[in-house]
Amino acid sequence: MNKQIRRLAAGLLVCYAILFVQLNVLQVGKDRELRADVRNTREAVKEFNQPRGPMITADGVVIAQSQPSNDGFDYQRSYPTGDLFANVTGYYSYAYGATQLEKTQNGVLNGSDIRQQLGGLPNIFSGKSDNSGSVELTMRADMQELARTLLAEREGSIVMLDPRDGAVIAMYSWPSYDPNDVAVHDSTTTRDVIDFLNTLPEKPLLANAYQERYMPGSTFKVITSTVALENGVVTPETPFAVESSYLPPQTTDPIENYGGTTCGGTFLEVFTRSCNTPFARLAIELGAERMVEGADRFGLNEAVPFDLPRPAASRFGTVEEFTDNLPLLAIRGFGQNEAALTPLHMAMVAASVANGGVMMKPHVVDATFDHDGRLLDRTEPEVYRTPMSPQTAATLTSLMVNVVNNGTARCCMTLENGVQAAAKTGTAQLNSAGQPERSHAWIMAFAPAEAPRLAVAVMLKGVNDEISAGTGGVLAGPLAKTMLDFGLAAVPA
Amino acid sequence: MIEGSPVALRRRSTELGLVVMAVLITGVAYTLSALGRDSNIPANLGPFLGVIFALLLVAHFATRRLARGADGVLLPLAILLNGIGYVMIARLDAKRLAGLQATWTLVGVGAYIATLIAVRRVNDLRRYQWTFFTIGAGLLLLPFVPGVGVLKGGARIWVSLGPIGFQPGEIAKLCLALFFAGYLTENRELIAAGTWRVGPFNLPEPRHLFPILAAWSVSVVVMIGQRDLGSSLLFFTLFVILLWVATEKASYLVLGTVLFATAAYIAFRTFSHVQDRVDIWLDPWSRYEDKGYQIIQGLFAFGSGGIAGTGLGVGSPGKVPAAHNDFIFAAIGEELGLFGATAVLLAFILMIGAGFRAAMRADRPFEKLLATGLTTILGVQAFIIIAGVVRVLPLTGVTLPFVSYGGSSLVANYVLLALLMRVSDSTARRLGELPEEVTLEQRRAAKKFAKAQAQAGAEATVVAERGRGGGS
Repeated sequence: MNKQIRRLAAGLLVCYAILFVQLNVLQVGKDRELRADVRNTREAVKEFNQPRGPMITADGVVIAQSQPSNDGFDYQRSYPTGDLFANVTGYYSYAYGATQLEKTQNGVLNGSDIRQQLGGLPNIFSGKSDNSGSVELTMRADMQELARTLLAEREGSIVMLDPRDGAVIAMYSWPSYDPNDVAVHDSTTTRDVIDFLNTLPEKPLLANAYQERYMPGSTFKVITSTVALENGVVTPETPFAVESSYLPPQTTDPIENYGGTTCGGTFLEVFTRSCNTPFARLAIELGAERMVEGADRFGLNEAVPFDLPRPAASRFGTVEEFTDNLPLLAIRGFGQNEAALTPLHMAMVAASVANGGVMMKPHVVDATFDHDGRLLDRTEPEVYRTPMSPQTAATLTSLMVNVVNNGTARCCMTLENGVQAAAKTGTAQLNSAGQPERSHAWIMAFAPAEAPRLAVAVMLKGVNDEISAGTGGVLAGPLAKTMLDFGLAAVPA
Repeated sequence: MIEGSPVALRRRSTELGLVVMAVLITGVAYTLSALGRDSNIPANLGPFLGVIFALLLVAHFATRRLARGADGVLLPLAILLNGIGYVMIARLDAKRLAGLQATWTLVGVGAYIATLIAVRRVNDLRRYQWTFFTIGAGLLLLPFVPGVGVLKGGARIWVSLGPIGFQPGEIAKLCLALFFAGYLTENRELIAAGTWRVGPFNLPEPRHLFPILAAWSVSVVVMIGQRDLGSSLLFFTLFVILLWVATEKASYLVLGTVLFATAAYIAFRTFSHVQDRVDIWLDPWSRYEDKGYQIIQGLFAFGSGGIAGTGLGVGSPGKVPAAHNDFIFAAIGEELGLFGATAVLLAFILMIGAGFRAAMRADRPFEKLLATGLTTILGVQAFIIIAGVVRVLPLTGVTLPFVSYGGSSLVANYVLLALLMRVSDSTARRLGELPEEVTLEQRRAAKKFAKAQAQAGAEATVVAERGRGGGS
């Protein structure tokens, strides 16, 4: 019988070996997968019982923080400024996880960053296990507040950058949402709020300022002008025919100026008055390859590098798209049809002109700190693209100054204290012929023109016929002016 | 106390050392668990440790007294598993279950000592094999008795007598192991002879086959009537393995497997609850909302535990339904990680090894078969539930021996342990490793004899004195 018993023992040993192998599969092989499963709330429970550090704006306002709670979890995340920074901080919810900076800066905020873990080691025996770090933004609460006030519950976005280093100073789009409603611990409430926000056509959960693209209208002429100047096709003195329409190749459908007016003169004049036909002609003259290449140098047709998640890629078009469809190239040359930029990208275009032709990588995080206030990381300014030479930038600046002094922005871009602004307006016509007019109103601007410190883009979305007859300058201009006036006073040089 | 037997002395010293270690591990784990939960050392830690230490020392000294030649690692391993289980239970439900489990541990150790006292010679149990069969079968049928049986969690395995509820199946499995061991000791040669030819098989005479079929029916009844797949599998495995070991014929292993597979397949096709178990096993993920929830939460627990575990008191093992009972292994996997779970596996492997060693050393067929049966129960039951929890097999609810919460289970397993110890001890005595124990009757007789001797001596002196006096 001993032989059988020995075999039996061996058989059971094999059975237990199988269990051991399966344990390894579960606890070593698939542990990440099992931990990351949304239905596995263990990590979340652990996180919600941990202190989580604050997010602070450049002007010292706390926009996200953790407060002691006794609803079964030790802490409750709160956002003291409500909807103001919702699209930047995101939310930190039990049921739906985290978004935006709450997601990307999670390691710093909960203290799981390896440097914070090492820094917290001396505290491990004293029971003081709070390792949570903090995130300091480049954005300012006062400028953000101003942007919200200026939009005055109109759909649209305002983005303000420091052109010299790409730091985002303000980035607000209306409507936003209150992340406090989402960050509640009750899963059902969170789901109801999220479901409701998702039903809204304005997409408040989306950071429209950088996750949504809009037709740019005449502001796009800055890009076409850059390509033309860089290729030596025009100078400010180059003359253009005085005409009311232009018939591009491959079509019988002529392109008209705004309102069918007659328009022409030197390049400086057509830029200042924002005539359409000269830019259609320039786009055709440059051809698909040079236009696409020039647009790509601005970072169009790809997502911009940004320290917030999922930026949308602005769009111009591809060479293939235009080769057999030159009228399309002509129309997109002055920013109509399906050319589309995010408001953030528009501000970056203005900033690259302001910064001598160098486009910096945009960022909202200035620095991160550990629990004892020691610096973890500081965002170093980085060059993203160089879409133009300093000479072209200087020429464009003079063209845009002329827009403010004599052109479409004369109405409303005269800054206080005699500061000179440079700007380009735009009206993106959304309706087709015969329908009620509906347009996005745009302006991009920077100041002071001789040594730019701030660049701004304002976009008012065309949702009804309010933005119809007017051009971008009249509607969006005053918003840009106020942003620049306040910004130059408030933001340290 | 163990004069004249270095082997027994060594075994008992080893046992004492290991018991102390098991108690220390339990105490440290209990403290860490409390610290992890609310950063406080429990106020009653001192008395608590004192009481369990005293209790387990009592078990050890009882072994010294009653089975001093027995294997030295079985008791410490059982105590370690019991301790880890207690820590997890206390961590999951400190208010109610922890106290109950402590009480049941006390009762279990009492049952262990009582068994060692009551069963002085294993062979004596052979005489009662049909009694054990009757008790075992009766216990299995008890849950069907109206007014006594209780339906819990879809399984009819509970009996309620007044305030006390218990699972008779836990005791029944011991009775059946005793019966099988006895019956097969008597009939193994007849069964092995296999004079009845059916096709390619040499089968034993139908009358010898009867108990095999009876056991098979018991398994089927348990599977269908009580919906207790785990116990059904356990009974059948036990029987087939004992039959195989006793007859030394592998054909019984094949036959038994075929029989069980047939029954299982028919059950799978006929009964929805069996089919459910298999479906959940194959794909729990699409059934997360209802039937797959428990197994998936168990898998999450293992995943979240990782290699080193979350630490005692720091995880959320309470998320898994029945974490204190069938799924206690998942709780261990979460808070103690791969290390802790492997330690539990190793403890079982070592217990199984010690059990089979006792079986192989035993020179009497009955003791051999009994030790094999008891070890099989322990090893297979632990395997069935762990395999179910980690999704190696379809989940069938049985308790994890010594670890899971449950009075019936704990008491039955301590009795099982005592029987194994007794087999091991008897063998040691017969192998001459220590002098044959003097039974109570013999001791009484010896006392009487000595007294008589002394009396006779005294009388002789008196007579001599008298004689001398008379002579003067």
